[in-house]
Amino acid sequence: MTDQAQYVAAFSTAAENVGSRVVSFPDLEQALKYLAQHAGGTIMLPDFPSGQRHGLAERLEQAGLEVVSSDLREAGQSALAGLTGVNFALADTGTLVLESTDEDIRLATTLPERHFALLDPQKILADSLVAVAPMRAMHQRDSRNYIAYITGPSRTADIERVLTIGVHGPKELHILLVPGFSDDLLEM
Amino acid sequence: MSKQRSKQYRARIDHALATPKLQQALHQFGDAYLLAREKAFSGYDFEAMRQEIAAMKDRVRENLDLYLDEFITNAEAAGATVYRAATAEDANRYIADLAKQKGAKLAVKSKSMASEETHLNVALEKAGTRPLETDLGEWIIQLAGQRPSHMVMPAIHMFKEEVAELFSKETGQQEPADIEHLVKVAREQLRQGYFDADIGITGANIAVAETGGIALVTNEGNARLASTLPQTHVALIGIEKIVPTLEDAAKVVRILPKNATGQLLTSYVTWIRGAVPGSGGEKDLHIVLLDNGRSALAASPSCQDALRCVRCGACANVCPVYQTVGGHVFGHIYIGAIGIILTAFFHGLDNAAEIVRACIGCRSCVTVCPSNIDLEEIILGLRETIGEEEGLGAGKTLVFRKVMRNRKLFHSLLRADSLLQKPVTRGERSIRHLPLFFSGLTEWRTLPAVAEKPVRDIFDKIPQRLETPRYKVGFFGGCANDFLYPELGEDLVTVMNHLNVQVSYAKEQNCCGVPALYSGDKETAIELAKQNIDAMLADDPDFVLTTCPTCTMALQRDFVEHLKDNPAWAAKAERLAEITVDAAGFIANQLGAADVFKGLAEQRKVTYHDSCHLKRGAGVWEEPRRLIATSGHELVEMAHADRCCGFGGSYSLTSHPDIAKRILGDKLQDVVASGADCVAMDCPGCMMQIRGGLEKQEMNVEARHTIELLADALKRKS
Repeated sequence: MTDQAQYVAAFSTAAENVGSRVVSFPDLEQALKYLAQHAGGTIMLPDFPSGQRHGLAERLEQAGLEVVSSDLREAGQSALAGLTGVNFALADTGTLVLESTDEDIRLATTLPERHFALLDPQKILADSLVAVAPMRAMHQRDSRNYIAYITGPSRTADIERVLTIGVHGPKELHILLVPGFSDDLLEM
Repeated sequence: MSKQRSKQYRARIDHALATPKLQQALHQFGDAYLLAREKAFSGYDFEAMRQEIAAMKDRVRENLDLYLDEFITNAEAAGATVYRAATAEDANRYIADLAKQKGAKLAVKSKSMASEETHLNVALEKAGTRPLETDLGEWIIQLAGQRPSHMVMPAIHMFKEEVAELFSKETGQQEPADIEHLVKVAREQLRQGYFDADIGITGANIAVAETGGIALVTNEGNARLASTLPQTHVALIGIEKIVPTLEDAAKVVRILPKNATGQLLTSYVTWIRGAVPGSGGEKDLHIVLLDNGRSALAASPSCQDALRCVRCGACANVCPVYQTVGGHVFGHIYIGAIGIILTAFFHGLDNAAEIVRACIGCRSCVTVCPSNIDLEEIILGLRETIGEEEGLGAGKTLVFRKVMRNRKLFHSLLRADSLLQKPVTRGERSIRHLPLFFSGLTEWRTLPAVAEKPVRDIFDKIPQRLETPRYKVGFFGGCANDFLYPELGEDLVTVMNHLNVQVSYAKEQNCCGVPALYSGDKETAIELAKQNIDAMLADDPDFVLTTCPTCTMALQRDFVEHLKDNPAWAAKAERLAEITVDAAGFIANQLGAADVFKGLAEQRKVTYHDSCHLKRGAGVWEEPRRLIATSGHELVEMAHADRCCGFGGSYSLTSHPDIAKRILGDKLQDVVASGADCVAMDCPGCMMQIRGGLEKQEMNVEARHTIELLADALKRKS
């Protein structure tokens, strides 16, 4: 197995261990079909470069989904799902790293019950120490930022230490592995 | 000492001890935690990781102003407003003023121990802003009007029925006590708050000097909402949370969740640098850097390591005292071992004075601390400070200063005890009942009688006929071996002579000083250290052997520490430390002689109890097991073999016998469950506790010192 294939395998295991659903697709078209089946309702789609490049909004609508891309505060009160890309991911912990300085990214990943994330498997790094380099590059590129490490759905064990999923954030995290989606660690 | 304060403290203990459900929950949590933690660290070198964290945190402490300046410069460059609060009042005033200025009706909060520390909610309410806790545990205790009983799981002391009752009052309908349902209620009830709030208040786990950014390590997602939806974000951060670089931050993030909850990583790590854009315009970000005693802590040579703390709460998770009484007894705002230290500096000695004595000194926290803090040593130092501030109490002062420092007087009083106790022992070796107000002491365990003749009186009569001994060793008996279990001294000679080692007993040796030290009387401890160094080095022995690991720690660690700045004594203390070794470790390691006992014992089913100071002080745990198994016994492991037995010297006799009794109960349960007919150990203190408990409950299990078992095996052979 190549290093990258090992990272993908380790990432998938770690992510599934914390309750994420990881699904591999041969191409974006298949991933969109999955989205159409699983979104369950209106999907919040903030602007992000790889999404624009692939014409996500139009293609989702063509697939029959109701998509909102503006006034996400308003939409977040009722939308069931959010869709984003990913800057890069960490294999050892099954973590997604999302540059979320644009408030819409945060709204789409905190308010809905389901978060779908499109990840190019090329962007899976070994661990959080390796991730320091792209983290630093993001800090150097932008003077202000809000970067989110997301590892599984929202969880709590505050009542009798019983693990319960989905307290304030998403109850479901679907990670869609799509080769060729974006290979730039600094780009979502 | 404040009588009122002690009385309230006793009442809290009684209340906790009368809540068996709490104890059960905390015990189960402790067990589950250790398993999860072990799994989380598999493939990692915890020792190396924590040393790295400790070194980094020390570097920050030594250059705190430098890193604070760097952080502030970078945070301000990114549009944050930074305020340095010298005290809790300063921090509260700044935040309350800001809330007033914004006309804020509602502030949503994510979990922040710093805001608990400053009692920020009270200040906000006074300013007319309603604080709404959004972390599930914090919300529960806010509704209940309580304070957190754990730093990571604030409502760990509450049960789902109580939560359902609180939530029902809030929603005005009957909410079933179903955890999944209750979590859903919290989600629904709190969601609108984020939209309505004018201010979001968070803490931070890390402040990165290199970037001027902060990081929040969370699971629920409420910190993300609280830092996103309201227009104003206030982050209240203790100045010790500073780290130099993103690499350092990554290392804290890597170790913290693994050690806190056994998670590889929490659901969210949120990195925020500066005033980020938002739909309402640029965010108004205020960072309040809180000192409130931290600089004083940094300046205290004996306590400063506590500033390394990353607030994982592990020291409470593994603490037998915490598991027995919970955080509302064993803590103030911050709980557990670290809580004792932080309370002394953040909330004053008065608030720490009772809990500083609640630590039993078992060092289990020290093994799991991710910042390598020797919590027990710091707590001992604090006890001494409080002893100086408040006095030790007339009885202890008399015993330690006037009696123990005068060896002859101390020992003649012990001998007199041997005579005085006759009416209660009826000639037996254990005291089963004591009259009148002493009766509490023997209610749950028998106590050993003071022997008619201590080791020091019989030693010269023990025949030792070695032509060319391999080593000459001095035996440091310690009070318990000397006066309570002299036969153990004889057994040690039997075993050593068989290994061609000659043993001497210096008559001038005195108490090791630990009882005085643990009670906060360092002066007496130092005086005793000097007496013992002179006594033990007089014959220039090859080694000094101990049968009590607490004495071992005194000779190996404390004497050196007490005298390191005294040129007349430092080198001698070092020498004694170098040659001091516990008897089992000596046989297995220095002599390499485990095989000498091969198959000599009459096979019994033996389980081994690790004494706290032997395993976590001297690092010896495998050696006695090897000796016991090699000698022919069937060694069976009990659960929690290295959990404290609850002895703790004066802890079980005078300061906290009620807690000690519960901890012993746990130990006896594990001993019996192992199915062994003998429990072995290497500490006369543990023997006093465990044997006493077994005898009192008339359990058919013997408690023996490893050296006694080896002597038995030899006697059987001859």
